[in-house]
Amino acid sequence: MTSILRYLWGLLFRIFPCPTQTGLRRIGTPMRDSPVLVTCNFDLTLRRLRRALRGIDAWLLVADSKGVNVWCASGAHELNARTVVAVIKTSGIGDLVDHRTLVLPQLAGPGVRAQAIEKQTGWTVAWGPVRMTDIPRYLEHGIDAPMRRASWSLFERLDTALGSLFPFLLCGALGFALFGRGLLVDYVVVAALAFVGFFTIIPWVPGRLGLARALVVDLVLGGGLLLTELTLHNPAPRPRADWIIAMVLVLLYGGEVGGIASNLKSDLDPFMARLGMKKIGNVAFAGTIRTDLLNGWRRLVLDPTRCERCGACQAVCPQGVWLTPADSVARLVNEDACTGCTACLRQCHGAAIRAHRVDETAAGGRSAL
Amino acid sequence: MLSYVFMKILEARPASYDRRIDRVDGGRSRAARQAVQARVADGSRVLEIGCGPGTLARSLAQRGCTVDAFDANRAMIEEARSQAGDLAGDLADHLHFRFMGVDGMDRYQAGAYDAVVSTLVLSELSDDERHYALGHVARVLRRGGLLLLAVEVPPTGTGARALHALARAPAVATTWLITGSSTRPVQHLRDDLAGAGLVLDDWSQNAGSALAVVVAHRPEEA
Repeated sequence: MTSILRYLWGLLFRIFPCPTQTGLRRIGTPMRDSPVLVTCNFDLTLRRLRRALRGIDAWLLVADSKGVNVWCASGAHELNARTVVAVIKTSGIGDLVDHRTLVLPQLAGPGVRAQAIEKQTGWTVAWGPVRMTDIPRYLEHGIDAPMRRASWSLFERLDTALGSLFPFLLCGALGFALFGRGLLVDYVVVAALAFVGFFTIIPWVPGRLGLARALVVDLVLGGGLLLTELTLHNPAPRPRADWIIAMVLVLLYGGEVGGIASNLKSDLDPFMARLGMKKIGNVAFAGTIRTDLLNGWRRLVLDPTRCERCGACQAVCPQGVWLTPADSVARLVNEDACTGCTACLRQCHGAAIRAHRVDETAAGGRSAL
Repeated sequence: MLSYVFMKILEARPASYDRRIDRVDGGRSRAARQAVQARVADGSRVLEIGCGPGTLARSLAQRGCTVDAFDANRAMIEEARSQAGDLAGDLADHLHFRFMGVDGMDRYQAGAYDAVVSTLVLSELSDDERHYALGHVARVLRRGGLLLLAVEVPPTGTGARALHALARAPAVATTWLITGSSTRPVQHLRDDLAGAGLVLDDWSQNAGSALAVVVAHRPEEA
């Protein structure tokens, strides 16, 4: 029963931490040559990972991420080299295997500095795929380009959006239950339809960011409402509550969407930075490299003389921003897709990648473009 | 008996941590800390695991002990260093605070300490971390050296355990929502001590209480 409740909590209230115990887990019947994988201590991630690894024999190190998923925890640097080193040492994994290769989730790139782990423990870091469902194939055949790229399938859209938005939708339902019971059923139906509808069509809605796409959808909805009312109640159109609710919710969905997927640019942080807001609570906006990159105030720049051709930038970027051809320095090939996660900056062996302020770049920084 | 769950919240304010936890638990953890302190001989070389704002370490230094202490909470270590700086004479020279978790215990020299002390820390560790820490305790203690713990454990008696688990749940949920973490009463401490090669000398726990003061030692012969 507790297990089901924890699963539902993790699924529907994903914006809250849901920690599980850190340490070593055995997947199947691992041997001394079995792979050693690392993940976070977010309960839902661990449950899904166990399912994805069914039939695999592996050692799994659950590192402290304060109960948050890999992508968010590494972005906030809660999942970092220190927490991974801690679990390597306290789990005693070194006594259980004959090799020293650690497979980190690719989305840990913004937080876990591989070089620090290698220096402190002697373990070598291999970057695994973005999606846990690709791990069996990765272990069998190694990494390939599609495994490195973040996707956002319909299931992923509905799943992550539900986990992110459910608490807000629940608050809305409580509000209607208390102060507008006559509209409660309308609200629930409209919220569900708008949710499924918006996240189904969003990849094809014009606009760069989530909020812009929501505005497009709202324009269509508003136009539809006007036309319908003009047709049905001509000549005195009346606003319909359910349509208004749908439009408001679409704005909420659109505003949130940028913050929940690893392949979308965030709307909120750069917007706050533009307003001059430096932080809300402990969440910093202005001045961070990420928001500067998203606002175009900084650009990624490569110093080819420092590039060690290690390929780390390509290995950790979920957007394919970097390309490291064999025996060649890295190249910035898809800068527009950059979501500002800073994984390349953190993993670059020679500190060859920098996020230069645009004025510095213009003044003489060597751009890779 | 639920107050030890709330210490995760109180840890956010190191300067007032001791005063607040005193207020929350009616002075029981202070009494446990004093019980631990009383078992340490004057002038001992001591290692403290999870020193918080350094209250126990400072008390021991005032009795002539040299204390190496660490904590995984950076703000706590900064507070401990700040308060140590206010000590009279050269007492601060006998205190060495380090920001690190138990995974850093391998840096301490084998057989270097007369006593290892720890209050209300083991319940914050995972099973792996606890086993690792106790293994290093056995390593860094000199032969005959003491391990002194104040630790959150399940109360004795089936009824008291059930009541404790039931009453603890809302406190755990509250703490978890605020801090994203919580504590867990240590379930098999006697086995863990034996597994690390330590010999249990004394286990003091009042009926219905979730707080135990535990004394163990490293045997003379391995």
